[in-house]
Amino acid sequence: MKRWERIAAISLFLIGVGGAIGAWQIGFGTFQAPGPGFFPFWLATLLALLSLVFFVRNLGADATPMVLWAQGSWVRPLKAVCVMFVYVLLIGRLGFISSSALLFVAWLRIVEHSSWKTVALLVVGGTAGLYLFTSLLSISLPRGILI
Amino acid sequence: MLEMQGLLNGFALALTPVNLLFGFIGAVLGTAVGVLPGLGPAATISLLLPITYALGSPLTSIIMMAGIYCGAMYGGSTTSILLNIPGEAASVVTCIDGYKMAKNGRAGAALGISAIGSFIAGTFGIIALTFIAPPLSSFALKFGPTEYFSLTLLGLTLAAFLSGKSMLKGMIMAVFGLLLATVGIDPVGGALRYTFGTMILMDGFDFLALAMGVFGIGEILISLEEDMNSELVTTKIKDIYPTMKDWLESRWAILRGTVIGFGVGLLPGGGAVMASMIAYAIEKRVSKTPERFGEGAIEGVASPESANNAASSASFIPMLTLGIPGNPAIAMIFAALLIQGVQPGPFLIVDHPDVFWGVIASMYIGNVVLLFFNLPLVGVWVQMLRVPYSIMAPLIVMICSIGVYSLKNDVDDVLMMFIFGIFGYILRKFKFELGPLILAFVLGRILERSLSQALIISSGDVSVFVTKPISAVLLGIVFLMLLTPLALMLREKKSEV
Repeated sequence: MKRWERIAAISLFLIGVGGAIGAWQIGFGTFQAPGPGFFPFWLATLLALLSLVFFVRNLGADATPMVLWAQGSWVRPLKAVCVMFVYVLLIGRLGFISSSALLFVAWLRIVEHSSWKTVALLVVGGTAGLYLFTSLLSISLPRGILI
Repeated sequence: MLEMQGLLNGFALALTPVNLLFGFIGAVLGTAVGVLPGLGPAATISLLLPITYALGSPLTSIIMMAGIYCGAMYGGSTTSILLNIPGEAASVVTCIDGYKMAKNGRAGAALGISAIGSFIAGTFGIIALTFIAPPLSSFALKFGPTEYFSLTLLGLTLAAFLSGKSMLKGMIMAVFGLLLATVGIDPVGGALRYTFGTMILMDGFDFLALAMGVFGIGEILISLEEDMNSELVTTKIKDIYPTMKDWLESRWAILRGTVIGFGVGLLPGGGAVMASMIAYAIEKRVSKTPERFGEGAIEGVASPESANNAASSASFIPMLTLGIPGNPAIAMIFAALLIQGVQPGPFLIVDHPDVFWGVIASMYIGNVVLLFFNLPLVGVWVQMLRVPYSIMAPLIVMICSIGVYSLKNDVDDVLMMFIFGIFGYILRKFKFELGPLILAFVLGRILERSLSQALIISSGDVSVFVTKPISAVLLGIVFLMLLTPLALMLREKKSEV
């Protein structure tokens, strides 16, 4: 785990340093009259310092090397992320209801490998439920070329 | 006397048909979602938040949210007892003896004592809340920006300190959460910060997108890595009301759990998780037959379940009186109230007495609802547990998307929620605690505003934070807490030598 902790520490350190430089450029101000960058500057500096401590505490060999992702365990989350991003892209074009129906199909087939029968049942049920839910709460959802 | 008057008014408001109905719906929905493995109170509230927005009235909204919160706490124990998967973090220890009891054919007794213990502890917590909250609010009125800065800092330090195994990781998350809250338009001068010239970041990160992403989507992604195949105890659940023997065995456990839970729940960052673990450990320690623990001891269910419910009630106190949410679920309620135009804090009892007393009264009612409606409905919750997670996951994604979209009618917020979902997944993989991140994000603006005001008022004199007595005491506690890990490290080194 230590190797991964060091990677996390370096990433956070870089965010801290970048954040502090950015905050300084926005305007630090003075202690009497703090500028918009005053508070973020101290936070980013503190983040960089804490990450540095975190890095130092994780130096040395790993007594219990840990695999962050067991073999193939990242595949389903990655597929789900791809399905979700396509879903966002489609919402504006196809409308919320239609793209949600597609989300169901894609999720159940690509991520869960469900049978077409299960998919058909759930898409009809889920979409009808969504339609009812949003109608009852009077939520206006984006409409697209379909519904 | 004023408390009684306020409480009576609160009951009058909470018992109106609309508020009663939404309190009931909140408790049932909270239980239904809370029963699902992995979805704790914070995720449950974030999922159901859009419904409360649609209600319009802040009082009805908070009554419903309080119902959802208490229901989710209750639902979590059902999953622990029947499935051996904690429905929420505060029910982790309930798995140990609860599931064993279920395997031994005593699922009904475990669920029953859990519900009754929760009811007793929850009611005690609310009575204490009724009488502690008003004087604490009056005291907090003396707080200026200096004291608020120190108090918020103490809340965040406590959250980092009590959040998990590593205080350092908790602190990193708290600072990161504060930094995320600075993105967007500066609340004082109107300057743009960390927007990188994009429109999407101009309004800053949306709390709902962050909370739903980190808790809802992040949880789904992590659950996709593992198969949630645990043996559900499906035998017919009977005898849900404890026998005299069960009572005798668990009465002191309930009492101890209640007191411990209330004390721990008052601390920002403490909350139900810590309370249930401490209560279980103490119960095992004081037991004359500790060997029964782990083999289905009823005290092992009664104590932590009482503790986590007492803690849930207690955690409303810092939010309602000081404006400091103590745990992520309360932070959700806090943020939702802000969106409804209600600022929780010492002025709440003066500015919105209806909300203040209404929510307390509704918690009394909610507790009764949970006891008398949820126990007979246990069969329904068991059926909920049969719904495969593979079906629940796309449904949750869809509900989260509607929730985030409906707030500002902006698809970009849905995109942001998914990005935060990946972020939450990575944080979970690296074993970073999410509680301090969410709390810090909510408290970021308060902390920045109070720091700026304190510095401007004192003409840049930083010593004001240690010369004002209340602030000095609060900062002293922060300092001591920061020293604790260092002292422990030095002691370890010394013992190694």
